[in-house]
Amino acid sequence: MWTVVRDLLRHNRGFAWGVFLLGFVLLIAALSFVSPYNPLDSYVVPPDMPPGWPHLLGTTSRGQDVFWMLSFAIRNTLAFGLLVALISRLLSLTIGLVAGYAGGWVDRVLMSINDTFIVIPLFPILVLFYFVMRDNMSWVALAGVVACLGWAYDARLIRSVAMSLRTREFTETSIFSGMSMSRILVEEHLPYVMPIVFSTTMNNINWSIGLEVTLSVLGFTDINTPTIGSMIYWANQHTAMVAGVWWWIAFPVALVIMTFIGLFLLAVSMNEFIDPRSRFGRGPT
Amino acid sequence: MTAVVQVSKLRAYYQTNQFGVQRDVRAVDDVSLQVQSNEIYGLAGESSCGKSTLIKTIAGAIRPPLAVQGGSVVFNFGGRELDLYASGPEAAAAIRWKHLSYVMQGSMGVLNPVRRVRHSFVDFAFRHIAKPMPQFMDIVTAHLARVHLGAEVLQAYPHELSGGMRQRVAIALATVCKPDLIIADEPTTALDVIVQKGVLGMIREVQRELKSSLILVTHDMAVHANLCDRLGVMYAGRLIEEGATRDIFSRPRHPYTAHLIASLPRIGHTATIKALDGAPPNLADPPAGCRFHPRCPLAMDVCKQQAPAFVEAAPGHRVACFAVNPVGVM
Amino acid sequence: MSAPLLVLHHVVRSYARGGLFGRSTRAVDDVSFELGANGSEILAIIGESGSGKTTLARMILGTVRASAGSIRFKDLDLAELRGRRQRLDFMRQVQPIFQNPFEAFNPLKRLDRYLLMTARHFAGASSDTSAQAASDAALRKVGLSLGEVKGRYPHEMSGGQLQRVAIARALIASPALLVADEPVSMVDASLRTAIVNLFKTLRDETGVSIIYITHDLATAYSISDRVIIMRRGVVVEAGDARSTLDHPKHPYSIELKNAVLSPGVGMSST
Repeated sequence: MWTVVRDLLRHNRGFAWGVFLLGFVLLIAALSFVSPYNPLDSYVVPPDMPPGWPHLLGTTSRGQDVFWMLSFAIRNTLAFGLLVALISRLLSLTIGLVAGYAGGWVDRVLMSINDTFIVIPLFPILVLFYFVMRDNMSWVALAGVVACLGWAYDARLIRSVAMSLRTREFTETSIFSGMSMSRILVEEHLPYVMPIVFSTTMNNINWSIGLEVTLSVLGFTDINTPTIGSMIYWANQHTAMVAGVWWWIAFPVALVIMTFIGLFLLAVSMNEFIDPRSRFGRGPT
Repeated sequence: MTAVVQVSKLRAYYQTNQFGVQRDVRAVDDVSLQVQSNEIYGLAGESSCGKSTLIKTIAGAIRPPLAVQGGSVVFNFGGRELDLYASGPEAAAAIRWKHLSYVMQGSMGVLNPVRRVRHSFVDFAFRHIAKPMPQFMDIVTAHLARVHLGAEVLQAYPHELSGGMRQRVAIALATVCKPDLIIADEPTTALDVIVQKGVLGMIREVQRELKSSLILVTHDMAVHANLCDRLGVMYAGRLIEEGATRDIFSRPRHPYTAHLIASLPRIGHTATIKALDGAPPNLADPPAGCRFHPRCPLAMDVCKQQAPAFVEAAPGHRVACFAVNPVGVM
Repeated sequence: MSAPLLVLHHVVRSYARGGLFGRSTRAVDDVSFELGANGSEILAIIGESGSGKTTLARMILGTVRASAGSIRFKDLDLAELRGRRQRLDFMRQVQPIFQNPFEAFNPLKRLDRYLLMTARHFAGASSDTSAQAASDAALRKVGLSLGEVKGRYPHEMSGGQLQRVAIARALIASPALLVADEPVSMVDASLRTAIVNLFKTLRDETGVSIIYITHDLATAYSISDRVIIMRRGVVVEAGDARSTLDHPKHPYSIELKNAVLSPGVGMSST
């Protein structure tokens, strides 16, 4: 495994940059565990101070250190993105593989449900969800809802791969070797589906982070929890740009852009590596 | 008779470098041959012997990771010589289709599935036959008659034609500009036996009428026996025997050729044919010396160390094998 | 005389074509024959593309259902196979060999995995060692051994070797019937003979019957006991292999035989 990573780092620029960027972001997120300030407190440091020492990225109008707030913010945002990606991957894999393999009425029913979810307009539903839940809304619930809205596209992709795999002769060989359908799906078909799953996971994380930021900036989430979006929300509430407190907005934005680019580069470079066709060129590993 | 194409010491390898793993697949390793005008030259050999790569290289249809490592391909069309790999891409484009055409493996794929057949003719041949459209269509229709197809084929879509008809269209496409050299890669492999017979007969007719040269590549020895004037047998990237088809079939000299011919099943024979051990070598890591020696019943010590050079076993019939005595030596 | 192994009775397979009122085409049209009534035998089904021979093979293997007629294997009607237990019982006795040896195995997985799995499910191997022993025994029957195959991926072996591994896998279950769909058409000529000879040996030494589907009359002539010639889903001629192929009576069979290229140089004048 480590030789694979080492090879990738050595030969693939995209992968190296992706690892670097994402590593940096994760480092900042990890630093949140040693933060000297509690993110829910305000006015613990002098407000509106520009970047310098001891507050490396400046302070906000609410008297919080931007750097340490950012560490919590990116941690929460990433965790949200990962949770959504995990739940929606599970959903899309299960539904896509089963629909593609089984065919017939099972496929038709599942795809009707799928297409319904594709057409649902996300944003109004999420806003509605906020208004219904209000103060009872938790991040986990939000993650669940977003995940349920995010599996549909990828399920279709996975289904088409599963359908083509179904007709290949090695599937017949597996059947005649006595394998059950679930074993075939997991052991024989999943490796072919993994490149799609991997790149769509990266996309999904990006998408869900983007959604979270959008909702938070507009105030449709629990804005007391520090996330990238909520930082920007509060900055807007205090008219930071007009007041000249640019560091309050610039640094969260920069960090989230770094996250996007890092994930994207990783997805693209891993994709080429995982693709079964390029694996043959490299021989057995 | 002048040679229409002369291949000298050609070497073409696939060089891949993925994630640090470098691999050189020596698909064509030091091959020299000539094809005369008005001759059908067959290239025989099994899968991964390099014959498809060889004709791709002759046709100039190569792209990375396949690259020519050495040697030359020199054409002689109507007195004008052209060294394919020493000239630029414009020279290669100038000869394509007009002097040199290529019927690829799976020619069904040549025809654009969403356009009618006539569009393929216009795409491929119109600019070479520099005549106005109505005359061009007349030429095409007359040419289709040569392959026993009616003009209504031009208005059809490829999927409306049968496999045999599509292959005949592909052959008509390749010959409409009356090229000096046609290269055909497995033109009848995917066809049914009965259709194959018709298409092969048609290929022979067209060649006789146009007096073009034809390089026919197929693993099916029976096709070579029935169609080709001369035959070259390849194994593991190298040419191992070459001569008139009649000579090779009546008296094959190389043990591999002998086995290929003996293993042709014939109706009426029930005796068990003896099989050959082993498998063709991996071209990324071929055996030293003669590449056939691990499977050869006549292998000697020298075969493991040196690659055999060609000896003339009979006039016009050369073999690369240490076990064969040259003409004049007893 | 024992009961026949396989009986096909007026089997039809039709496919609907076109919209609401589309006509249907019959890929297999009223085919009937028996197999194995007099001990193990090799039956060749000869036909070109569109003859229905692959559809027929699929129906015998149980992957495709017949539209009409019945297929009985050892007195079990294939249309009545239900549930995993019954399917496994059936697969223990009837195994396939496919045309493309490179597609028969998952390119991303090791070959020995399929052998071991077949041994566990169908040969009653309860432990790794017994599964390996069963796989090795089957591989030896085809001229290979587990040591050569263990840990290998499909792309590391030649077409001929892969096809032999596929045959070995099918043999692990000790089936009564092998359905081989064009098993040598994608294998090199020099490796073909070994596999064709192998079928003969298997019939003689293990008593397995083989349905050998092919478009190649010559190999069918050399190894089969009986032949059936199909054209567009219909059986045009059937009978003992030698006499039918030596002296075909149906015009299509005659045309087929004449179209076979003989390796005699310069003989055909078409």
